[in-house]
Amino acid sequence: MIDLNRRKALKLLGGTAVASTLAAPAIAQNRAIKIGALPFTSHAASFIALERGYFGDAGLDVELVFFQAAQPMAVAIASGDIDYAVTAMSGGLISLAQRGAVKVIGGALSEEPGIDGQKILASDAAFQAGLTTPAALGGKRFGMTTAGSSFHYMGSKIAAAEGVDLSFIPLQKVGAIVGALKSGQIDAWSIVPHIAKPLAGSGAVHIIGSVADYLPNYQVTTVFTSSENARDERGMTESFLGGFSKGVTDYNTTMIDQADGQAGIDQMVDLIHKYVYTDRPRDKAAPSIINGTMRLNEGAALNVTSIQDQLAWFQSQDLVDADITMETILDGSYVDSITA
Amino acid sequence: MQIRLERVGHAYDDFEVMRDITLDIPAGKIVCIVGPSGCGKSTLLRFIGGLERPKSGRVLQIGAPPTASLNPLTYIFQDFALLPWRSVAGNISLVLEDHGIRGAKAKAIIDDVLARTKLTDFAKALPKQLSGGMKQRVAIARALAVNPAVMLMDEPLSALDSQTRELLMDDLIGLWARTPFTAVYVTHNLAEAVRLGHSIVVLSRRPGQIREVMHLETPLEDRHFGDADLEAKQKYLWQLMRDEARAADGELLDV
Amino acid sequence: MSDTLPAATAKAVSFRGGGFAPRPMRWVGVFVFITLIALAEWGTQTGWISSLTLPKPSDVLATFVELYESGLLFKHLAPSLSRLAVGATMGALTGVAVGIMIGLFSHVRAGLVPLVAAIFPIPKIALLPLFVIWFGIGEGSKYALIAFGTFTPTVVATYGAVDNVDRSLIRMGQSFGLSWTSIVRKIVLPGAMPGILSGLRISLAIAIILLVAAEMLGAQYGIGAYILEAGSLYDLERLFAGVVILSLLGVLVSAVIGFLERYLLGWRT
Repeated sequence: MIDLNRRKALKLLGGTAVASTLAAPAIAQNRAIKIGALPFTSHAASFIALERGYFGDAGLDVELVFFQAAQPMAVAIASGDIDYAVTAMSGGLISLAQRGAVKVIGGALSEEPGIDGQKILASDAAFQAGLTTPAALGGKRFGMTTAGSSFHYMGSKIAAAEGVDLSFIPLQKVGAIVGALKSGQIDAWSIVPHIAKPLAGSGAVHIIGSVADYLPNYQVTTVFTSSENARDERGMTESFLGGFSKGVTDYNTTMIDQADGQAGIDQMVDLIHKYVYTDRPRDKAAPSIINGTMRLNEGAALNVTSIQDQLAWFQSQDLVDADITMETILDGSYVDSITA
Repeated sequence: MQIRLERVGHAYDDFEVMRDITLDIPAGKIVCIVGPSGCGKSTLLRFIGGLERPKSGRVLQIGAPPTASLNPLTYIFQDFALLPWRSVAGNISLVLEDHGIRGAKAKAIIDDVLARTKLTDFAKALPKQLSGGMKQRVAIARALAVNPAVMLMDEPLSALDSQTRELLMDDLIGLWARTPFTAVYVTHNLAEAVRLGHSIVVLSRRPGQIREVMHLETPLEDRHFGDADLEAKQKYLWQLMRDEARAADGELLDV
Repeated sequence: MSDTLPAATAKAVSFRGGGFAPRPMRWVGVFVFITLIALAEWGTQTGWISSLTLPKPSDVLATFVELYESGLLFKHLAPSLSRLAVGATMGALTGVAVGIMIGLFSHVRAGLVPLVAAIFPIPKIALLPLFVIWFGIGEGSKYALIAFGTFTPTVVATYGAVDNVDRSLIRMGQSFGLSWTSIVRKIVLPGAMPGILSGLRISLAIAIILLVAAEMLGAQYGIGAYILEAGSLYDLERLFAGVVILSLLGVLVSAVIGFLERYLLGWRT
């Protein structure tokens, strides 16, 4: 029964890469697993896979565990409290991988030229003072959650590309960065579009560029799990990736390719709204959800070139040990690799 | 300078503790006030020194204090009240500083009063290093330093053991013999009263009233420990007070 | 008498008076430290404790040495120490001043004691974003957080200490005609000093705790920033090296106060 569903599903998926890597039959039979998620649009694939029963079809009994930040989610994987999660590559994640606690097994959110990705923001004060393009970032204060976060990486890469120096201000939380940017305590920041656009709409901050222009194929978030799951629970892991990939496909088809038109988008927004912006009414949440649309990698394929670049950058900043290799971080046996 | 009490009375709310006390404290004499516990002896002393105000009657100073007197009405407390963080000399200096006496002038006064109380060698000692008797001598030295017109002594020997008490009584008599001072000496110890008092005021139990004023003619320096005449006086006082004391002992405190 | 008693009934009175009197035992504490560290080293070396659970003490030491040799130690220490010094000094001085006012004036007491009681339990960390808006993301908000956190315990300790000054000493001062300022300066303040210093012991430890919180927002250098960065990188060696620095800072502050107590309170029995 389950096998039949899986084959049907695979046919529907259409991605040959996925078919080749996920061809092994699922061993999982109603395995109870926990998936870590943040209430962000970028985690939509997990929500879709759960809501549309793709995980159930794969023989998994999924419970979503919500976190407020990526960092504790990575630690929860290491401690075994959750099984799978999607989060940005960060120094912390690499350190946990080095300690043999976690493995990156796939990719999720990507920057893609032509698709509205993460934005570079300037505070109003800095904008009025001439910070209208990323080239003017020299000597400015760039917000980040913590050293070794994706914000640190993006800011650093943008500055390097423009040949300027930035000073990075750690503020721990996205909320604190937003506040600091609005009040002009910091000058610039980069963030996903569904946060960037409403901020810019309020006039307190200005969009001065796109991250995709500097990091065209940036693998923003990755799928990861504990080393034990990657090594010993092949069946369960494949089942998870299978269900997750179907969620990805639905999301990309509906939200980016708009294959099902406005009706499809509305339906998808309804689904996502159950998890994201739940404190807002649907009509107010919808624009934010739509604004947040970014490409998720089909079949959870992983852009290893981008990962390699990120690792090299973390090492160059002495944020992680220099002797860490790609093998330490990755288990590439599950999904296709993208090299671009 | 003399002190006169005129019809002094006191009450806490409706609770009368003292009634109609009229008394003269002549210059150069020691007046002892004795009475059962709770009769208001210490309160009376606080009225005289201006630390508390009586409900009725008044306390008068008759005549100006000598100009050399820095603090005409000076107390000596039962618990010595020495600043533990100041040395012996520092404790005496404390009461001079506010009068602008510092440096050599202060040192001269301190040296003098320490010599008079036989404490010269202990000028730098801290109170914690001193015995009880020595602490009270420091307090006496401090009182002498401000050249008081009237010394107000609130059971000054009650915190000391009986041997030390005897020695200090001799010291006080010696001090008075050299330069007679005026003093009001509150005590519950009748032996002290008959040794040190030129007159002894016996108060009744609450509300405190004067029962009797006894005058002793024997010069202070001729009174000695175990003197038969003094013993008789003490016995007489005790008979006067015994019934009052017993009744006072049966009462509730702070009713 | 004794020789008439039968030997069988003579028995030494059993001793039952011991205990309840702590004696100083200097080396036991050091021994406990060394044992725990040695145990951690042995455990991590043999793999009995995984590297995810606890870093190797020797690696922590190596990280510390590296930090020292790279000069980064002082780059982190200097801003932290200045934040501690400025913030704690501001908080402690205003705390002592307000505490004395509360101790001396009934109106101030009636007005401020409920206010202090109301702000004491507020986790000062929760107010950090507010401080950032008020005092800016630079040093101002960090000083304010540490000062605020030091202020309340100092106030409470100080007015308690003033209340406990021996009233008979104050009456003595009055009886000798000392001025109000003399009584406050020469009797109340020194008398309250033991309580103020033991209050400072607590408030300065709180200042060190708040240092990490203060450096959460906008600090590029500082021991707290270093610890937070190590935490977000899950770099346990750096995390522990930072924590050890904070502990040493705590020991140092406690030693300084101990010295002050010996120097200022030698008169205590």
